[in-house]
Amino acid sequence: MNKFVKLFFGVFGAFGVSWLGFVAYPYLTFAGLQPYRDPNTREVAPPAKPGVAEQGYHVYASNGCVYCHSQFVRDKNEGSDIDREWGKRRTVARDYLYDRQVFLGTSRLGADLTNIGVRQTDPQWFYRYLYSSHPESAMPAYKWLFQTQKIAGQASVDAVKLDGADAPPPGYEVVPTEDGKALVDYLLSLKRNYALPEAPEPTE
Amino acid sequence: MNQQIRLLQEPTDSVERSIRVPVLIFFGAAAFWLALGSLFWLLNVSQTYTPAAWWALPGIGWLSFGRSYPVFLNCMVYGWASGAGIGVGLWLLAKLCGTPLSRPSLPIVAAALWNVGIGLGILSILAGNGSGKEMLEFPGPVAFILFLALLIIGFWAVSIFLHRKPGATYVSQWYLIGAFLWFPWMYATANALLYPFQIPGVAQSAIHGWFSGALLQLWLSPIALAASYYFLPKIVEKPIYSYRLALFGFWGMAIFGGWTGLIHLLGGPLPAWMITASVVANVLMMIPVIAAALNFHLTVRDSFEDLRWHLPLRFLLFGGFAYMVWNSLGALISFRAIGHLAQFTFVPAGHLYLGLVAFCSMILFGALYLIMPRLLGRDWQYPWLVKTHLWFNVVGLGMIGFDLVISGVIQGFALQDPKISMAAINDLIQPFLLVQNVAVLLIFLANISFVAAVKLILLLPSRVRPQEPAAESSNESVPEVSIA
Repeated sequence: MNKFVKLFFGVFGAFGVSWLGFVAYPYLTFAGLQPYRDPNTREVAPPAKPGVAEQGYHVYASNGCVYCHSQFVRDKNEGSDIDREWGKRRTVARDYLYDRQVFLGTSRLGADLTNIGVRQTDPQWFYRYLYSSHPESAMPAYKWLFQTQKIAGQASVDAVKLDGADAPPPGYEVVPTEDGKALVDYLLSLKRNYALPEAPEPTE
Repeated sequence: MNQQIRLLQEPTDSVERSIRVPVLIFFGAAAFWLALGSLFWLLNVSQTYTPAAWWALPGIGWLSFGRSYPVFLNCMVYGWASGAGIGVGLWLLAKLCGTPLSRPSLPIVAAALWNVGIGLGILSILAGNGSGKEMLEFPGPVAFILFLALLIIGFWAVSIFLHRKPGATYVSQWYLIGAFLWFPWMYATANALLYPFQIPGVAQSAIHGWFSGALLQLWLSPIALAASYYFLPKIVEKPIYSYRLALFGFWGMAIFGGWTGLIHLLGGPLPAWMITASVVANVLMMIPVIAAALNFHLTVRDSFEDLRWHLPLRFLLFGGFAYMVWNSLGALISFRAIGHLAQFTFVPAGHLYLGLVAFCSMILFGALYLIMPRLLGRDWQYPWLVKTHLWFNVVGLGMIGFDLVISGVIQGFALQDPKISMAAINDLIQPFLLVQNVAVLLIFLANISFVAAVKLILLLPSRVRPQEPAAESSNESVPEVSIA
């Protein structure tokens, strides 16, 4: 019995310390994190994201975007992230304040998406990019986020402007599904281009 | 010390009979998940190499890369390695504690819950309900089913340890009790705080990182080490070189293992001390790792020449070597200068595969080759399947290890140079993706031979009558793949 008590407490104690450090500490401290209000302009950073629906996170997660795309920018001396124009400054905890699902990622087989909504602002660009295949990269064509339908009367507002081999037959149009729209709304919302005091833009 | 070895060699038939059914259910199901996982591995590596070719199944949403990759990983981690690991752990604990199982129905219920849960989880990922948190993709209700199975197993493990025969303690039991207590804890914490009680923001990434490190270091590793500490001395018929060193390694692992998971977030949006703690832990992990590797080496050193014919021993030794390589790579990429280069490349994947399929899997294979004939009372029917399994795995794993690390270094230098476009980097790694496909094909063939051998020994009566254990004294009379 004595041996078991020693083992039991040892086992719990040793692992419990890492639990306190990497689970309890961030869970409790980051729950109290507040946005930054600029004392002069009264602007709030990061701005609230009312538009992003749960569905957007869900489509991003379930189609595995995170396995090839990261969502964080390292400091200037830690990599080429800023030179590649993936962001003007490193990202910090406050940048993810409103992200109900956080996808930092560990691979950059594709480009970083921290600020993809700053680089591309046109939903049509995203629809075309997701619909077509990419011989220059490992990214597949996400055709199941779209449907081809007969044009009934007027063409849909969301119809994807496609040409070449991807173009639908005459009289038909390609429109994003609900999932496709939700994903693009989410990607458009990825803008971490406001100023935060704890992460100044590197000068030089 | 001698007493410990005598204890290991005592025939304890009533004990083994009492756990025969649940252990065989875990093994049989684990072999199935291994086959499925290997198939999905082959699919997802071909999808990164030739995303538009017909064999990459383009346009089929539920089989696309974003689903096939998590299906592969979860099959390997939960279906195969954890399932087989639970089986090996139950067998080892019962055997070492020398107590027949009082409630044999409990682990059978756990085995059923566990495998039904895995099946539901895989279907959820394919149906588009994966969570996108690597190795935690199963949806909440599925995670709850798995957690129930883990609770039953943890309860069973503790109760059998409390009812052990007087004096029956060995270092393997420490590793197993640790593993069976840590895993339900980490699995419940991660799933509860990432799903029902989630908070927005980067706390999620810290918890997720903590879990992925602990999953390898404090769940799969201790089971593999427990098996090594049991079987290596038994095969060479000598006590473990240093029992104290083994206990020292256990506590080193227990203290550092939980901190190792955040190294892939160097430069990330978490407090600097957290990343630093993880860096330090990965370097300090080398202490228990070297202790274990040294202990294994010194135990088998003098006997190895005489035991070249012993196939399970080779699996165990390859696994022990991979343990060293895996953790050395982890320590190396913790140094910031190297880490910033290796980050976001194939190196993190290579690191994960070394721990998962080169270390843990290989040791579990060795353990299954030794345990299953004892439980079934018959020997492996086709030793050539075992040889194919060994050599295709050795070549495939060596190939994928080198391939991912070398292509990772090239990718790393290219990513550091903003003038090299992402498309140009993709061109640079094409040959490595091809090699990765070949390597995974070899591993796939290896694993299929293993699964075939497992299904055959489970379902077919032996062609040769098994020999009495007592008669196995000279090498000539011992079948190639039997317990020493």
